[in-house]
Amino acid sequence: MATNTRHNTRATDTRVARDGASGPPDRRIGGLAASPLGRGVRRVLLWIPLIILVLWTVMPFLITMSISLKARGEVFADPGLLPDSPRLDAYREVIARPGFRGAFLNSVLVGFGTAALTIAISVPAAYAFARFGFRGRHLLLLFTLLPRLVPSLGLMIPLYQIAVTAGMLDKRLTLVIVYSGMLVPLAVWLLVGFIQQIPRELEEAANVDGASMFKRIRYIVLPLALPALITIGVLAFREAWNEFTLVLVLTTTPGKRTLPYELYLMQGIQGIQNYPAEAAFTILTIVPFILIYTRIEKYIVAGITTGSVK
Amino acid sequence: MSVVNSGTRPSLSPGQRPGSPRKRQRGPRLDITLAGQSKLAPYLFSAPAIVTVSLLLAYPVLYGLYNSLFRAPSLGAPEEFVGLENYSDMFADPAFWHALVRSAVFVFGCLILGLILGLFFAFALNRVIRQLRFLRAITIAPYIISNVAAAVMFRLVFNSDFGLLNRTIEFFGFDGPGWLSNGTLAMVVVIFCQVWTDLPLTILLLLAGLQTIDTSYLDAARVDGATGWKRAWHLSIPLISPQIVISTVWLSYSTLTGLGVVLALTGGGPLKATQTLPMEMYSTAFTDLEMNEALAIASFILILNALLTLVYVTVARRYGTVE
Repeated sequence: MATNTRHNTRATDTRVARDGASGPPDRRIGGLAASPLGRGVRRVLLWIPLIILVLWTVMPFLITMSISLKARGEVFADPGLLPDSPRLDAYREVIARPGFRGAFLNSVLVGFGTAALTIAISVPAAYAFARFGFRGRHLLLLFTLLPRLVPSLGLMIPLYQIAVTAGMLDKRLTLVIVYSGMLVPLAVWLLVGFIQQIPRELEEAANVDGASMFKRIRYIVLPLALPALITIGVLAFREAWNEFTLVLVLTTTPGKRTLPYELYLMQGIQGIQNYPAEAAFTILTIVPFILIYTRIEKYIVAGITTGSVK
Repeated sequence: MSVVNSGTRPSLSPGQRPGSPRKRQRGPRLDITLAGQSKLAPYLFSAPAIVTVSLLLAYPVLYGLYNSLFRAPSLGAPEEFVGLENYSDMFADPAFWHALVRSAVFVFGCLILGLILGLFFAFALNRVIRQLRFLRAITIAPYIISNVAAAVMFRLVFNSDFGLLNRTIEFFGFDGPGWLSNGTLAMVVVIFCQVWTDLPLTILLLLAGLQTIDTSYLDAARVDGATGWKRAWHLSIPLISPQIVISTVWLSYSTLTGLGVVLALTGGGPLKATQTLPMEMYSTAFTDLEMNEALAIASFILILNALLTLVYVTVARRYGTVE
């Protein structure tokens, strides 16, 4: 599935380039509508589904943000989307909670840990699968990729029991290892494809100049595979940042929880619901990753388009 | 299942794609031509990944299947082999059948809503050219947030006291229902929330299909006088049926095994109206503390998931849409 989406991104981009040059979009779509009125109607009809799409996607965010900027009583008194006097009280309250700060720190640590471990495990494997022909290669590659199909639901209870037996329950390291394990098949899949695209002549030339394999990986393969590495890092970070059901069973004490777990608990802990705080907490868990994602997305696109890999 | 993948499909032969000039260059592979490499190197390199994947993905599943055949006669007593007794107990339990029906409603509802909305939005996006990147970035947003965050947001939207939805309904002079206190409506809310989180990938998959359609087909149909709807129904949809099958498989997988949204949004309530199979598994394991019975439910879900995938692919193959 990963690859399909990948193709989509590329197909879309080339299409943008191709069609963008060939004139305004409505000329192509409204080819039969000769009159200006017909063209106008068509343009409106084209945009209605897109406006629905944007509203469908954005409304929950906007409503949550709106509630997060209100006072507790105002939520009931003033249901409008725009608060009369937006205030940041709810954010201050959430940030002041030790539960939030601890979970935030845990999420960051587990996120970076997962990204690092996933890359560390998958780079050598992907290099081996991409560059070596060895006995059992097909079988081992299949063996690495196939477990990707296992739903994490099937892992919940067994991993819990294994963690209890191994004394690994309630440790950040356990979360890092588990999330990395879930990401490795995808990471290897992406990297094998990427490394195969790096011309092996580069490595052969370096080999003639006496570069060892580790030097070639360090100075040729890794820099050229940087876009793939960043992609994998972001996906691993996303998994650690958002994953809920496994952290739910693998952690037991408040100090080890990540943000989704803490947010989940927040709904039940208070006697009287503090809706602005709940909303602010939600926004605070969403915003950091969206910031990272939008920045990195540009970087990835740039990394591909600047043509370090041709 | 990522949105920003940067690799391409790895072929099964190392670095030699069919049609590339390198294919003719027979013989010496890199590991033979280059110095400093032993025969052992590829095994050493791939070992960490293989060990990680085996220990964390393959082994737990087998462990779960195996342990679903055991049971402790009383709490704390050593487990004994009981064969398929956990499964026969499961099938005799009305709660299991209730959860199965709830899951069926949930999965079916999500499939219908997800595919209709996915196609609708994919067709809409397919006609956009300039703003596509911007719109696509917005479309992806629900995909990059956690299930819990989505559930909290939907609780706020569907809140019966102050939720914007009920206020809008009241504005038109009707009484807004208590969305999360009515069993049927709670299921509707859960379906909407699950579809909301799953839709980005569905849209992107279907959009990818639409963008690979050769426009000359559509132009020919247009010259023959086919309207937009006819072109969509008789041309585009049959042509992207592989992507529709993939979307169906993925949506079905994601909803049948999905726990996060339901757990965080309703917790199975009200009155077990949204107690799907994963919820039943979770509460059996961590509320009733009957791990082995929960493992039987988990195994059932995994097997059902595999069977459903098989069914979709077989049906698609019979109708000649997927080779």
